Amino acid sequence: MPGRFTLSTAILLALTASAVAADPIRIGVNEPLTGAFAASGTYVVNGAKIAADEINAKGGVLGRPIELVIEDNKSNPTEAAAVAEKLITSDKTPVMMGAWGSSLTLAVMPKLMDYETPMLVETSSSGKITTSGNPYVFRISPPSSLEAETFAPIADKLALKKVDFLVLNNDFGRGAAADFGKMLKGKGVEVGLVETMDQGAQDMTAQLSKLKSSDSDTIMITSSVDQLVLLFKQMAALGMKKRVITTGGSQNPDQIIAQAGSAAEGTMHLTTFLPWMPGKTPSPEATDYFIAQWKKRGFQFAGVTESFRGYDGIRTIAHAIEKAGSAEPAAITKAFWSVDFTGLNGPIRFAKTGPAGKESGQSKPDVYLIEIKDGAVVVPTL
Amino acid sequence: MSELIQHLVNALILGGTYALLGIGLTLIFGIMNVVNFTHGVLYTVGAYVMYLAVAALGLNFFLAFPVAILGGLLLGAVIETVLLRPFRGSDIDTTMLVMIGAGIAMQSALLWIFGGVAKAIPSPFPETPLQIGPVSVSWLRLFVLGAALVLIGGTYALINRTRLGLAMRAAFQDADTAALMGVNTRWIDTATFAMGSSLAAAAGALLGPVYVVTPQMGGLAELKAFAIVILGGLGNVTGAAIGGFILAIAEELGAGYVSSGYRDAMGFLIIIAVLVYRPTGLFAKAERIG
Amino acid sequence: MTRLAPLALLAALAALPLGLGTDPYLLNALITTGILTIGAMSLNLLLGFTGQLSLGHVAFFGIGAYVSALASLGFEVEVGFGLRVVHEPWPAAVGLVLGTLAAGACGYLIGRLSFRVRGAYFVIVTISFAEVVRLVALNWVELTQGPLALTNIPAVTLGLPGLGYWTLKTKAQNYYLVLAVGTLCYLVIGRLVGSRFGRAMRGLKENESLAMSVGINATRTLTVAAVISAAMAGAAGGLYAHYLRIIDPDVFLFATTVTMVIMVVAGGKGTLMGPVVGGLIFGLLPVLLRPVMAPEAQWIVYGLILIAILFAMPKGIVPGLRALGARRRPASPVLEVNPAVQR
Repeated sequence: MPGRFTLSTAILLALTASAVAADPIRIGVNEPLTGAFAASGTYVVNGAKIAADEINAKGGVLGRPIELVIEDNKSNPTEAAAVAEKLITSDKTPVMMGAWGSSLTLAVMPKLMDYETPMLVETSSSGKITTSGNPYVFRISPPSSLEAETFAPIADKLALKKVDFLVLNNDFGRGAAADFGKMLKGKGVEVGLVETMDQGAQDMTAQLSKLKSSDSDTIMITSSVDQLVLLFKQMAALGMKKRVITTGGSQNPDQIIAQAGSAAEGTMHLTTFLPWMPGKTPSPEATDYFIAQWKKRGFQFAGVTESFRGYDGIRTIAHAIEKAGSAEPAAITKAFWSVDFTGLNGPIRFAKTGPAGKESGQSKPDVYLIEIKDGAVVVPTL
Repeated sequence: MSELIQHLVNALILGGTYALLGIGLTLIFGIMNVVNFTHGVLYTVGAYVMYLAVAALGLNFFLAFPVAILGGLLLGAVIETVLLRPFRGSDIDTTMLVMIGAGIAMQSALLWIFGGVAKAIPSPFPETPLQIGPVSVSWLRLFVLGAALVLIGGTYALINRTRLGLAMRAAFQDADTAALMGVNTRWIDTATFAMGSSLAAAAGALLGPVYVVTPQMGGLAELKAFAIVILGGLGNVTGAAIGGFILAIAEELGAGYVSSGYRDAMGFLIIIAVLVYRPTGLFAKAERIG
Repeated sequence: MTRLAPLALLAALAALPLGLGTDPYLLNALITTGILTIGAMSLNLLLGFTGQLSLGHVAFFGIGAYVSALASLGFEVEVGFGLRVVHEPWPAAVGLVLGTLAAGACGYLIGRLSFRVRGAYFVIVTISFAEVVRLVALNWVELTQGPLALTNIPAVTLGLPGLGYWTLKTKAQNYYLVLAVGTLCYLVIGRLVGSRFGRAMRGLKENESLAMSVGINATRTLTVAAVISAAMAGAAGGLYAHYLRIIDPDVFLFATTVTMVIMVVAGGKGTLMGPVVGGLIFGLLPVLLRPVMAPEAQWIVYGLILIAILFAMPKGIVPGLRALGARRRPASPVLEVNPAVQR
């Protein structure tokens, strides 16, 4: 029976091979792969895989390959907490990345305290994440206060007079409205209506009709890309002509151009990555490499503004493990403080924020304003 | 003032598809005494057929719409024949549970096939809206309203002007007597369920291009259809048509002037209020359909 | 035999963690199964014994969870006219009791309503009630944190003054807490069903006008049943909140009601053991199916199983097995001590 012989030989070979290779270091990845944020979460995971493959091709970390343990948190906070617990207790991952949305990340945070395991936060922007006194949180995305601070000089140049807000009814949206509102008021800009919408809502015409008849000149919107596409279409349908600025960095401008078409013309977006002009990013070669890998794997270019976070997130974790010298949660937590390298959107090094004695880590990435003009992304001259 | 008019125009357009959803559900209840928990899934199926036809097969938008209706018609006929016929004569709770099982299985199947990421259906209408004074309406939404009104009119004509409609009305009045008089009530049931399903699919195919298509989109649509049907009185087609518009107005004004977060609560508050104060619906004439 | 079965099952369940060790994944599945089974037992009181199909049962579960969580977390809300209500955190055990009571109070409303509207109308009104409660939990952000979820809910602390306290943080401790509450609910339902009150409930289900003509107060009977049922669902919800220590408005999802309905219908509505058997099967089925298929595929299977059971075994598994056993041993005088309970 030659068939059986080959099969058992193959098994034997596989066994020997795995015995030779060093035990992999497992990194938990807690992202929304279904539900409202499925598209974004999937992008982040695909970016993370590029980083893992790159690191493993170069020999791994501490002489061991890294292995991503990817779990779906279904865009739901309770599920995100359960996933974190599973990753820590069942899969024994000493460090995690997650959990995309602010509400999801906040839900996971008590578990980090319970099990004393660090997590790298790659996307969430609520201020609460780094100010609540959780020393196991290290964030590379900008909180909305940092975004607002970077936006301040731009606001002067745009000569804003009165601004309305339309935001998601969660920490991400409400946090942005609060932080940007505070910054604008400080500059003497009037803040008008603050309208909210549910993350799954599809018909925002009622809110938009209300905003249409207000006397503001600008609407600031905070949401994820799918809802932004709907919003721009519905704004066009209502014949709204106000200036639109979106925040939060989850806009995927290319997806907006593709799906909203001319309805997106003239909209402005605050973003943290400039894949359209790699030369202007802090480390052009890394950006080129990442975008080339992304295209080679057949993913849509639109996804890179999300997926680079996953890529940088895993690279940051790998740096921390390298510095820690071991794959133990406590050592990695400590080592995060000495991480220092240039990511795709600026230097990644953590500053202490939050209550003394139990500070969280916050890195300070670059923030850019872009505009959609003639169906392409440009950096507006102000 | 212009804001109020804009809200009312928005509501009018939404009301058309709500009415379609409600009429489909109320027909099935009135004639078959079945509370159709697959109604929301059929709405979703209509949207996905439209998506497949337009975005994947490249079919013309206006040809894809009848294809979606046909898809709903066929799926409805299959559901009735396979799942409901064996339970003829069972009590209403049993058929309700069968429909819940079917609805859950079908919705999960859609999630399995298409994944959770929302799909967009491109439409051939221009982006610039029709502007009448301070009010703007997109051409796509106008088409949605027009198509919904044509389908509502068609359903009325079918019920009131055709032999099938006559038989349906007879079966609604008294199924046993109708059967004695030579009406094939099995065929009537299949036809009714298929027709109700096709209306749900039509509503999905119309709203799919306006919003985006997801496997879960039918859940809320189904609950709204329940609200509309209760509002109009179970089995009352005219009531359902009017109920659709009332719900749309309540939602739009609620979201515009009270709180946008409670937009979807309007329907349920209406249900509870109607059932407490006027349990037979606002237009109580459950004696006949049409 | 039939009498010993529940005791044997209880003994087996109590011994289970000893045999399983402390595999967190399995224990977690057992705890959530237990909590949902309590929900199913409470639903059975309405669906099985009074014949009222309540498809908003998850509302009571969620209300119990939120009230219990909020009572133990504390909150501060504005109630209008500039008035603010401030609540200092109470112990989790007190929260559990409050959650149970609050859910029972809501059950009173639904019970009163169930007498006004019947059949399809009752079903739809219960669904609407659950949806409204979900939307309130989603939008009253000041109180419930809305979609941000209530986090850091404390674990239950049990104890007596002078004897010391202990906080149920581990999975094994929570497992026994759930088992204890489940057993209590089982006993309460058993007593209730075997009493005069139980006969009144079943009388109403069989023939309402006849039951009323012999002096059964229909409104009162249905309302009391609804209150007890809702309170038990609320207790299950409270256990859920303090075990997971995080809840969000998704606890009100229709899918949870459907899970409970499947448990009751599959196990056998109107029997004491039915929801327990159904609950164990459908609570643990995901553990078996998880390695084989994706979650959405599992739900396809659930939907089809529900239909298959309605086709083939419309009375459910427990009565089906009993009928099978009776057929095999026709001569043996089956212990039909209390025919009411055996039904």
